[in-house]
Amino acid sequence: MVSAFKRVGGRIRVRLGQREAEVLRRLPDQLRDVLTAEHLPDGPPDPVAARLFPPAYRDVADREREQEYHTLVHDDLLNAKLANLDLVAGTLERGTVSRRRWTVDLTEEEAMAWLGVLNDLRLALGVRLGVEDDFDGRVDEADPSAPAMHLLAYLGWLEELLVETLSA
Amino acid sequence: MSTTAPVRERTEEQDEITDLDVPWIVIVWNDPINLMSYVVFVFQKLFGYSKEKATSLMLDVHHRGKAVVSSGPREKAEFDVFRLHGHGLWATMQKDR
Repeated sequence: MVSAFKRVGGRIRVRLGQREAEVLRRLPDQLRDVLTAEHLPDGPPDPVAARLFPPAYRDVADREREQEYHTLVHDDLLNAKLANLDLVAGTLERGTVSRRRWTVDLTEEEAMAWLGVLNDLRLALGVRLGVEDDFDGRVDEADPSAPAMHLLAYLGWLEELLVETLSA
Repeated sequence: MSTTAPVRERTEEQDEITDLDVPWIVIVWNDPINLMSYVVFVFQKLFGYSKEKATSLMLDVHHRGKAVVSSGPREKAEFDVFRLHGHGLWATMQKDR
């Protein structure tokens, strides 16, 4: 299978099926909602937020340090994720379709943003789906969450190819 | 005359010595979602580790459930944890004891 990503000059070229690009285009807004929903005052603790903004200190004796850490870094982590989303959303708008193939050329910075967004999406989806065992991409079709598991598998496949391209 | 000031000063000094003596370690924990290749990529990018070292650390995380990926004074460990969190890895820090 031809990779979805290829280095072309100083750029990373993304080539996807038109339908795949349509699926991807919907995702940044969903992730943005998940990320910003965390700001609701006094809401119940959200497991997705707990995974995307994990604690640094495990020891209860370090509780104060943990609070300091959280206060210090939370906004920076959030803003970095939102900045990645903006970059990715921009590239999804910019892409063009020809013969049912969707193409866009990414700068290195944009490719790193794609990587961050793909990973955040998968973490959020994995927590929502309650994935607890190492996920190998195999989906049980009888499972009511099979469509979402397929999305998780697809995003994992895409991320794997992007890591491969960026590592080369 | 108050005696609290010198006492507090000594305590702070001792804390400082303790902090310097006992380094902090940064641990990355296994999770079911992060890709093995992605974890290797992040270790290389953040810490400048060779592909071999990054892969061996990733395999420790995968098979043993966790691995110590860096160590040092608290500020450095916290910065490393912050960067790992920025990349979606499940990292914590603790005193090395």
